[in-house]
Amino acid sequence: MKLRILLADDHEIVRRGLCALLQKHEGWEVCGEASDGREAVEMAKQLKPDVIIVDIGMPYLNGLDTTRQLLQHDPHFRVIVLTITDSDQIIREALDAGARGFVLKSDAARDLVSAVEALQSKRMFFTPRVNDLVLAGFLEKGHAISRNEAPNLPTLTAREREVTQLLAEGKSSKEVATVLNLSTKTVETHRSNIMRKLSLHSIRDLVVYAIKNNIIQIQMPPQIQRPTETTMA
Amino acid sequence: MAVRILLVDDHPIVRQGLRTLLEGRPGWEVVGEASDGIEALEKVQSLQPDVVVLDVTMPRLNGLEACRLIQQKQKPSGLEVLVVTQHDSPQMMREALDAGARGYVVKSNAARDLLDAVEAVSQHRVFTALARGPQAC
Repeated sequence: MKLRILLADDHEIVRRGLCALLQKHEGWEVCGEASDGREAVEMAKQLKPDVIIVDIGMPYLNGLDTTRQLLQHDPHFRVIVLTITDSDQIIREALDAGARGFVLKSDAARDLVSAVEALQSKRMFFTPRVNDLVLAGFLEKGHAISRNEAPNLPTLTAREREVTQLLAEGKSSKEVATVLNLSTKTVETHRSNIMRKLSLHSIRDLVVYAIKNNIIQIQMPPQIQRPTETTMA
Repeated sequence: MAVRILLVDDHPIVRQGLRTLLEGRPGWEVVGEASDGIEALEKVQSLQPDVVVLDVTMPRLNGLEACRLIQQKQKPSGLEVLVVTQHDSPQMMREALDAGARGYVVKSNAARDLLDAVEAVSQHRVFTALARGPQAC
């Protein structure tokens, strides 16, 4: 019987690359592809895959909250988190969310097959870079990754985190209501509660909070270096 | 029409996805891959591709700088650069075109736009598409 894998990444080009990589492995099949976290949760409920590969930076519902929702629905789901960043905070949050594998996107071509094999054998998988980070944190701080760096996420409920992400993505209360199948009034109540709990005063503050706490991710453009007169001559 | 393509992106999994898409088109050949701007310059020199599919945010030398250097050295050969990037921004698109790129595609829509874009730039036509869709040029 084949190992069934669900992929969740908002970039189709990345899913194509992942599919090409995974389908080379005899005995594995990609049973579904989701382009955001909400779709991943729905597809996982229907398809009941053996392994779910989840990108962290997805629209509508980020990979960390997707992992939380997946495991809340079925604690037997085995989730590998794919990420472009390898900060202590991201690693800790992924582990707290219940991920059993953690693979850097830049290393996916090398490590993802090993990660799926590990989860198939009921083991966990962390890339050498993540292992180094965890070990370095342990040696430097005397314990694994510091809890002092924990973000303020626990003060928000799962629903409030969903609303926070959607608002930080630039959606209006009405649009958030449509996505979450709530009334606009309920969303506005959530919004007020979020602002009060976090002592925020504007949507700009909310966006900054969402970025700092890995609810949304942004990629900075490269430093543009204009040619100088000397180099142009 | 035969088109020889060089893929440049620091993520192998993205290069794999791009390759899968491009190799489905008869006559198109991915002749090589590079993982940063410096390697791209070397491969352009040695492989002489028709089209370079170039990411922007890369280590060592970013795609815009690489694009400028490629244009300085290779323009007479007719080589064209197509920027494929995560940046869905008119400003970044302008920077890429100013650097000498002939095309600009946003990564989140690469599956939709990439084949049309490569076809256009390989015929020396401009192709630009932000996430909302291609623009007539």
